[in-house]
Amino acid sequence: MTTLRLTWLLLQKDLRIAARSREVLGFTLLFSVLCVLIFAFGFLQSGSAAVRYVPGVLWVTLLFASSMSLLRLFAAEEEGGTLPLVSATTAGTVPLFLSKAGVQLVFTTLVTALVLPMVLLFFDARLDAPGPVIASLLLGLVGQSVVGTLCAALLVHVRLREVLLPLVLYPTVAPLVIAGVKVTSMALQGQSGQGTTDWLTLMLVFDLVFVAASPWLHGRAMQR
Amino acid sequence: MTPTSPQEPAPLEARGVAWAAGERFVLLDLDVTLRPGELLLLSGHNGAGKTSLLDVLRGERPVDRGAVLLQGVPLPEVAVHELPRHVASLHHRPGLYFDLTGRENLTLMAALCGHTLSVAEVEAALTRVGLEPAAWDRRVRHYSRGMKQRTGLARVLVSGARVWLLDEPSTGLDPAGRATLAQVLRDARDEGRAVMVVTHDPELIALADRHLVLRGGQVHEGAL
Repeated sequence: MTTLRLTWLLLQKDLRIAARSREVLGFTLLFSVLCVLIFAFGFLQSGSAAVRYVPGVLWVTLLFASSMSLLRLFAAEEEGGTLPLVSATTAGTVPLFLSKAGVQLVFTTLVTALVLPMVLLFFDARLDAPGPVIASLLLGLVGQSVVGTLCAALLVHVRLREVLLPLVLYPTVAPLVIAGVKVTSMALQGQSGQGTTDWLTLMLVFDLVFVAASPWLHGRAMQR
Repeated sequence: MTPTSPQEPAPLEARGVAWAAGERFVLLDLDVTLRPGELLLLSGHNGAGKTSLLDVLRGERPVDRGAVLLQGVPLPEVAVHELPRHVASLHHRPGLYFDLTGRENLTLMAALCGHTLSVAEVEAALTRVGLEPAAWDRRVRHYSRGMKQRTGLARVLVSGARVWLLDEPSTGLDPAGRATLAQVLRDARDEGRAVMVVTHDPELIALADRHLVLRGGQVHEGAL
């Protein structure tokens, strides 16, 4: 069976489990709503002052929400003892990594679809030219999902993984968050051009490096 | 019973294996050979290292000394994705996804071992382990302990592996379930599979062709 076919099979399985249990997605969405509300009340401002907080609130909420779903990414495998079985498929460990990164990408995309309009609404901001922001979100979500899946896999056998995951994940994806904040900030101020392109290029390079290296690193981690 | 000829490598063999948990050696210069068409009983007091030995044999724990050979090839040289084709195991956790149905679990697990099962083949395996048809399309989460154990055994059946490593397979089974398990093991032996069972169940002990006792990190021939 090919890598692609097995990846699709495992992704279908993960999405089916997510749809049936609903707990991970439900709690992650609820958590991101709470995050936005806390930030909205914490940075209570009006007018142009409020808009300055939008990029930071958006990207930090997405980062927090993604780490929440990452903590449960391998929960189904741990519960039933299936990790050794799915780690050693006929196509190696790549299908497991790709399927987990895929399901994390689906989760974070749904969270983004909820969080972005909420942040714009609460901070009274308008995106007249949403193209660069959407591009940065796409690149950011792919990067965070890939790196996050790798971190979750590396820590799957570690006792204090709930504590360690943010400590490993946040510094690693910091370039993505900084670039995303910059692009969003420039878009809100109506700026575009070379600055935006440079930050988007940085995000693309980050994604390419981690998409290429992560399946291999994940394979090493799964072999303990 | 089909003995291994001197030219033919054993399906699975441990040679001079030592494995330590921290500072303490649980397995010490231990030799075990699994032969095709033989049901090997492994016993020992609690903490003797029976489960650790099974973990070592299925490649879950790397050895500190010695080697585990799969058909004459040391495990580290066997590609990780080749193992599930050859060695299937059932241990304390059944190796199932709790939010998938029994039918979905078998289809997925067989696919991971490189087999595409027809609906009839899946149903035949579930019937063979005595799982009621009404339960086939229910989530494993709602199964009793015994039903999970039966489905875990069906997973071992559909793997097509020639070596079975079973750790307390009768746990949670009612008398009818234990009789079914005994029949499945007899059939496996007749099909030429090499089966190692850790059990205290008299019904399964009576089936064994050979008895090994794990004591002081080494195996000794025991009485049947």
